[in-house]
Amino acid sequence: MEGRCAVETWTEFGFSGTPYTPKIKFGLGTNVFLCTGSDEVFVFSTQERKLRAVLQFPGPVSDLVECHDKQLLYVSCRSGVYCISFPFLLSRVQSSPADASSSPAELKISSDFLVVGEEGALSLLLVSSVLLILSQRDTSWLLSLYKTPEQTQSSSYEMLGSFRLPQVLADLNSDTEGQTGTRRRPVLVCVHPGHPKSPSSSSTSSSEMTITDSHFCLEPVLFKLLFGIDAALARSPVILCGLPDGRLCFLPLRLPGSQLRVLRSLEQPVVFVGASVVMETGPGLARCLVAVGEQGRVVLMKTDKGEPEGGGDMAGFIEGCVPGPVVCSFVDEHHLYYSTGSDLLVLDLSEGSSWREGKERDGETSRKTAAAFQSPTSLNVCRVIALAAPALNTTGDVQLLGLTIRGQLQRIILPAGREDAGSSNLPSTQVGRSVRDLLSAIGDVCERASVLKTAIKSKNQILRHLNHVLNISFLLLANKNSEEHLPMQEKQIRCYAETRWSRLLQKDSLNLTCVLDNSSPYVLEQGWTLSITVFPLSYSSSAEGESSSTNFSFPFHNLNPGETLEVSLPLSAAGDTSFPMRVSCSLIFSLSSLLGEEETAHLPSLQSSCISLPLNTLTVDWLHTLQVNSPTMHPISRNATSQSSNITTDTVQAFLNSHRSRCAGRGEGGGEGASKAEREQCSASVRVSSELLRDTLVLKSSDLDPRGPKSTPQNLCSSLLDWLLYESPEGVKMGHQGDRFVLSSSVVHARGPTGDTVKLTAKEVNVGEESLRAIEVQIESSSIAAVCGLHHAVLRRIQYQWRRRQQEVYFGLSSWCCFLWQCNNLQPPTSTCV
Amino acid sequence: MSDKMYQPTNLLNKWVQENNELVNKCKFAFASSFQQQEGGGDTLSRDQNQTPLRSYSSEFHKLLRKIQGVPPLVNHTHLELSVVYNACVCSTAQSQFTEAELLLIQAIQRALQMTGDEPVASNRTVFWRTVLKSVGNTTFNTCVRYLLCLQWAIWLATCQLTIIQELKEELSSLFETLCGGVGDDKKNEARGKSSDIPLLVTDPRGLVELLQICTSIIQGAERLSEGQSSEALSALQTASSLPAPRALLAYVHFLSGSCLAHMSRPQMALQCYRKALVTDACCVSALYQSMLIYRQLGNTQAEIQALRLLQSTLMLPSVTVPALATTHLLSPSLLLCSQSLSSLLSVPSALSVLHSLALKCVLHGRVSEGVEHYLDLLAALHSEDQHGVHAEAPALPRLPELYLEAGAALLMARRPADCMALCNEVISTTLELLPEKVVLEDPEETSEAETRDMSVDGEDRVGMLLWTGAAYLLQGHCHTHLKDWKQAVTHYTRCINLLVRVRFKKKGFQPQITSGDMVVKQGTHLCILQRLKGLSLAGRGISFTQTDQLKEALRDLLLSLQASPECVGAGLWCGEVLWRLGRRQEAAACWEKTWSFTTQHHSAEGLPVYLQEPQSGPLLDSTELRHRIQELGPN
Repeated sequence: MEGRCAVETWTEFGFSGTPYTPKIKFGLGTNVFLCTGSDEVFVFSTQERKLRAVLQFPGPVSDLVECHDKQLLYVSCRSGVYCISFPFLLSRVQSSPADASSSPAELKISSDFLVVGEEGALSLLLVSSVLLILSQRDTSWLLSLYKTPEQTQSSSYEMLGSFRLPQVLADLNSDTEGQTGTRRRPVLVCVHPGHPKSPSSSSTSSSEMTITDSHFCLEPVLFKLLFGIDAALARSPVILCGLPDGRLCFLPLRLPGSQLRVLRSLEQPVVFVGASVVMETGPGLARCLVAVGEQGRVVLMKTDKGEPEGGGDMAGFIEGCVPGPVVCSFVDEHHLYYSTGSDLLVLDLSEGSSWREGKERDGETSRKTAAAFQSPTSLNVCRVIALAAPALNTTGDVQLLGLTIRGQLQRIILPAGREDAGSSNLPSTQVGRSVRDLLSAIGDVCERASVLKTAIKSKNQILRHLNHVLNISFLLLANKNSEEHLPMQEKQIRCYAETRWSRLLQKDSLNLTCVLDNSSPYVLEQGWTLSITVFPLSYSSSAEGESSSTNFSFPFHNLNPGETLEVSLPLSAAGDTSFPMRVSCSLIFSLSSLLGEEETAHLPSLQSSCISLPLNTLTVDWLHTLQVNSPTMHPISRNATSQSSNITTDTVQAFLNSHRSRCAGRGEGGGEGASKAEREQCSASVRVSSELLRDTLVLKSSDLDPRGPKSTPQNLCSSLLDWLLYESPEGVKMGHQGDRFVLSSSVVHARGPTGDTVKLTAKEVNVGEESLRAIEVQIESSSIAAVCGLHHAVLRRIQYQWRRRQQEVYFGLSSWCCFLWQCNNLQPPTSTCV
Repeated sequence: MSDKMYQPTNLLNKWVQENNELVNKCKFAFASSFQQQEGGGDTLSRDQNQTPLRSYSSEFHKLLRKIQGVPPLVNHTHLELSVVYNACVCSTAQSQFTEAELLLIQAIQRALQMTGDEPVASNRTVFWRTVLKSVGNTTFNTCVRYLLCLQWAIWLATCQLTIIQELKEELSSLFETLCGGVGDDKKNEARGKSSDIPLLVTDPRGLVELLQICTSIIQGAERLSEGQSSEALSALQTASSLPAPRALLAYVHFLSGSCLAHMSRPQMALQCYRKALVTDACCVSALYQSMLIYRQLGNTQAEIQALRLLQSTLMLPSVTVPALATTHLLSPSLLLCSQSLSSLLSVPSALSVLHSLALKCVLHGRVSEGVEHYLDLLAALHSEDQHGVHAEAPALPRLPELYLEAGAALLMARRPADCMALCNEVISTTLELLPEKVVLEDPEETSEAETRDMSVDGEDRVGMLLWTGAAYLLQGHCHTHLKDWKQAVTHYTRCINLLVRVRFKKKGFQPQITSGDMVVKQGTHLCILQRLKGLSLAGRGISFTQTDQLKEALRDLLLSLQASPECVGAGLWCGEVLWRLGRRQEAAACWEKTWSFTTQHHSAEGLPVYLQEPQSGPLLDSTELRHRIQELGPN
């Protein structure tokens, strides 16, 4: 258990999704300031282990900095920088009554405390009496310097000047901002030239410098190498600023005519800039500057000893990449601590101090460097999003203060003897503490494990999902390849449909109810969409037909094996005669549904990518659109039936002969036309061999019809009509309003989609001299469109059935059907051979 | 409440009262902040003023919206236009020019709807001409004039000088009516006392005066930068009689001086600058320009005097930013934002002035004064209050050079210990970074090589080496001054050892140690290198002569002359050594040659002060030498 460390949760704040990255800062004695990025700043007492005050600001707090000498706290807000004095704060905290133990003092900070009205301040830094404010203007970063007044009371903050740095185009910040909505605060730190020779200039402030986390004393040679001789000669503190666009800039503060210059670019948002001793040489002098980027890039800046001949010392930049995103980071004397959000890791920087020593072994050392960066030690503390070192470090072991994403303030005590493994003999006083540490560590590991578990679970889920999708894809693709051979019923996933007339607001409309039947062994899970395209068959080739196609999408959640999904879509309104319609069904899977919304949000290419698998195609023809009148209402139809029954037919062979009957003569023709029908009636007929019909229909309905093969011609006629109207050989059938009435007669009266009445008559006729028996289906209507459409539909059905039958039973039948059809004012007769 | 809505007179009174209250509050706030500003000496509180100004501005706008919610009425117009004036003044003071202009135009159009004719707004010149004509002698004539004042201010602040030029006559008649009409003014004041007259936040009369002088200043500056000095001069001379704040009058005089300086009349220009300074003692640009003229005229004493004045003025806390008395809500600095004016007015930073002063003093024999200035400069650089915010040119030299210059000055002032301390500072800073070997490229490529070197890690390695060398050289001089010959030799040797690290590389040749016969351009690294070599070898040679190591002395002096033939000390001492060695003819020849060099060249002029020959070492008396030659002569 090398990396085990004790975690002690001090308090918990609830917060989420704040506009700025949170920050913890020690100050005001043993207190901790927490700024979570929301409007509040919390003051937490580490001694009393409780929240002492909540400062409520008028806007989201971006940064805070404290001034030790003058006992001031500067807080930057959207509207500017506020200054609160500690005595005031303490008086307000203590003035609240004795029951303060229960609730912290709440202070509303009004605009009276506003000292610098600079908008959009993101980061603050205080260097002796100068307050530096980094803010973002439209296209540039602006670093403004304000002189803080000598007296606390005075409110005049003299602006000393400002430095501008244009923003680079590629804003690396957008990534994080898009995901979490949190703006990364630019890092602002101050580097002092740690000059052992001159205690006079920095004697008062040096003690403070080493303690606070944004001031470092840098070893002189490195300072000169990085920031120039002039800054070193002037002993000017240097402001280092790590921007969210990845640049690390520096500015010698007290050098006349100095400018904000770029020191290095990390090419990813800078999370942290710190300094480390690495090798203990000078007292408190850092020998190495460390900058950490959001995606794990670590840059160590230190002095490179020059080669014996050639140049002198050089500034060495060692770059490496630690695994994982870096949420926050911290450096102590030898180690770099960083949190990935799911774990706190530590990297030993002193290991790397020897990385560059021999130049001749460059290849080897660089490998070692990479290895060292790749193998940080895990401390098993998760969800830390802000880190700070406590001001008091009494015991000598490393203590860190962390803020977790849930808002828990934690003290993380790293085991003292992590390097030397021989520290197993603990004094008895420490045993109790050790057990407590162990317990809390276990708790922390549990929490971490649960995080990992959910991650693995979701990955497995996605893989299983993907597997299903692939299975279904293969199944459907195999179907497509063998579509011609497989009858529809054998497809495991298919669509069938039903037409249904409905009446809404006195308008009839034809709806299609599509049923997706999943008889495959796989579940159609979330992400699948049933897509149905409807387009008229007759126009499908022309340009206007393309435009008249309509697409319907039905996303669905889960369709288990054996389940069906029923969707309904409007097919046409009454009066529309664009039948037959083709209904093409397909299943679409969108890849983005595999991942969560967050993951897909930043992969825009994935959002549109999907798998589209065609299922099957249905045809809605005229027969489907008929509204059959109940036989009781139409005495004429009964007559027709009796008439048709009179006709006797006995020929075996069937041929088609269609003729036109003009019952009432031409429209302008005579007075007798008015007696029967006002308009001219068109008719068409189709003749089918009775034997053939008997075979197919009887075969088909043998299980339904107990009369079996002994079906009479009368039965044959009615069952033919029944089959035409109600069966669904191709997957589409006509729905029935109310009960389906059994067609006992061989005459059917119906209304077509345009509202015309249609009469379908089936009768047995003798064809030719060889007494071939055939069933003739006659279609009569006043509308030519209806006659044409129905004729086509009947032909199509018979053709389809015929093809099926050929495949199923008997192929050697030499019988042939000839369908002939004539109409007066139609095109020349067409004939089809089957 | 609803009753009041139907009583326009009451409503009017209420609005007037509201306006007057606001105006009084605003005036009071501004006056108190102005006083505070005066007392605290804080010049930059314009930012602080913004916040209350913003709130007043929004209050005025709110009031205006209320008033404009009612259809235009004749008896409301005076109030309405007054409130528009107040709101626009506030907006303009916050630099919201377009907003103010829009408000102004809309208000005038609304007012004109009552008179019936509506002017076209497409062209501003035409618009104002028609407005002025149609307003004629109506009751709100004065109000519209006040608004024209504001429009003028906006044009000035946005540098739309052409429109101002086009409407020159209208504006000057406006100026005359507002300032000249005394009776009218009295009447206004009399009316202003009663409470039902809407008050204004700034007095339009004062505003128009300010506008007149600011316009003259800006136009003068523009013409001057376009090269029309004489036209600018005549316009400025008429402007100098205008009533105006002192600071602005000083600008007028200053610009007149600049015109004259452009017309190559330096003495008259100096007169004008003097007038500017008399008018406003803080007109630093006049001082700076006079200093430049003195420098041009070669009047060193006057130049030093001017520099001293300039420096002390710049060191005053309030003068760093040209503070113009802001008695008006619309400050002159808001109105004078022309680019050419600010470039004319620009003055180098106090520190760079101090540096030129120190250098001038040292170079022209006022060593002790120069030393004091150098020490002041160094102290200023190290003070906590120093912040590198003055980035304008001419910048200071690099800090090590500054240290070396100060060291040389200290040595000249016979303070060798202080000089050594400064040099130690430079050496300790640079020593660790010095390269073991460095190649100096062909002179033609030096600049390129420098930039490349700079880009490696921000420092010019050769330059650094030369600084360190110069520091050792100065330390050698110090020890020579103290007659500590052994230490002097040590330090000169350190310098020489550093210098031989530099190899010179000519294009296509191998790197080599530099020699004296190369043609050297002034100011380059190579030039400084050769000069350093000459001086350090000469110094060591002279030190050897003092310890009677004549052979070593002769070698060094000869090498010195080879590196830098114009070294007078080396030449004279070389002759002396030869003389002591008994080579009297050669010695004589050497002396003669050296004297001929000194009459021919003054090559040391372009060099930094720390590369001048030391005046403090052991000296040879030229007359005595000539005497010796004469004695030798007959031989």
